[in-house]
Amino acid sequence: MKMTKIYEGAYQWIMYGRDPHKPEKIIDTNQYVVRTAKRCLLIDPGGIELFAPMLAAVLHHAPVEEITDLFASHQDPDIISSLGLWDQALPHAKLHASGLWEGFLRHFGCESIEYVAIPDNGGTINLEGVVLQIVPAHYLHSSANFNIYDPQAKILFSGDIGAALEAPGAPMYVDNFDAHIEKMRYFHQRWMPSNQAKRAWIERVRSLDIDIMAPQHGRIFKGDDVKRFLDWFEALQVGIAV
Amino acid sequence: MSGSQTKSQFVAVASIAAELSAVMEVAKEISLAAANAKAIAFRAGEKAKGFQPITDFINDLAKETIALVNKINEHALLLYRLTVNEQRTTEACKRFEKVAAMTTNAAYADSLTQPLEQAQLRMLACRREFDAHVAELLDQLAEVMHPARAARVIAANSRIEASQAGEYLQSLQAVAESVDHAAQVIHVKVHRCRSALSLINSPE
Repeated sequence: MKMTKIYEGAYQWIMYGRDPHKPEKIIDTNQYVVRTAKRCLLIDPGGIELFAPMLAAVLHHAPVEEITDLFASHQDPDIISSLGLWDQALPHAKLHASGLWEGFLRHFGCESIEYVAIPDNGGTINLEGVVLQIVPAHYLHSSANFNIYDPQAKILFSGDIGAALEAPGAPMYVDNFDAHIEKMRYFHQRWMPSNQAKRAWIERVRSLDIDIMAPQHGRIFKGDDVKRFLDWFEALQVGIAV
Repeated sequence: MSGSQTKSQFVAVASIAAELSAVMEVAKEISLAAANAKAIAFRAGEKAKGFQPITDFINDLAKETIALVNKINEHALLLYRLTVNEQRTTEACKRFEKVAAMTTNAAYADSLTQPLEQAQLRMLACRREFDAHVAELLDQLAEVMHPARAARVIAANSRIEASQAGEYLQSLQAVAESVDHAAQVIHVKVHRCRSALSLINSPE
């Protein structure tokens, strides 16, 4: 599992992905960790197949007992089907996820971990004074869906928004936005159901100061590419299957 | 617990639930046969005097079987939950061991020791609890065999009493046959449950 620090200050953001041992037919995912002095938040910790390489990678940065929080942007298996295993590894941790998905996510096994239900209008996660904002991104693509915004690091974890379907081992960052568009187009048109939801999200996100937009699949956007993405997404018709 | 063992355990527990549900249906049939027999015996009056107390026995046996099967069903459900727990803890142990093998050079590799040991303890506790409940379930299934055997004896007596019931002979003999058949079906199904459980209990 490749590890890339995407922010380093008083705390760190680390991206884990491009696992060379990933089974061929499962979609590649990016996992993110926010590491403060004594705590660790796993953002979209991944599917059951990724549990071992993911935990093995995190143990380079934090001991098990300091992995205190998990966040699931939505309910899909590539996001959080590893929950039952985290539940046994981290019995005192908290899972931050939409209240709408609680009864569904518990099917993965959630006996020990505390389920912290996020209301529809979002909320915050406070990691030793690092306050992360939980930003609503409903219907993009899941009906109860959230992003994470870190105003200090100026990072937006955007979940499936900005995702791209790439060949294995793709670079971590978008280096040519125009060339990247075709890797994103179908994903956004087919997986995102609502133009109305898309416009509401763009309006919300444009008010944030963002240096890095970090999706759950594909490459990370930096600097002007964030604005380019928002403009491109705004013009894109989504929900094409109906 | 290996992958195939887990699968066979799930299948065995599910098949026990299916067999028990069939036993319940048969027990209800016996209960219906008892009510039917009672009505015939009442109409037959003096001619079926010896048959009347038998109908009460048949009814009691059906009730006893239904109560026992209800109890066993609860146990089978618990076994299913234990199988799920055991599968989850076994899977966690396997994955934790994989992590341990992958992290020999990680700064915090040692912090995995405690969760791994705890998962192994939970897995053993699950296995012990499962084995204890399988043993109890086997005893309960043996208990269900008693009313089934008694039902066959009563069926034999019913045939004798039916033979003295004149024009009601055929109706009462049909009741006796129905009770006998139901008892045999229960015997076969409970035997299947016991075999399925014995398979789970056998060492790999």
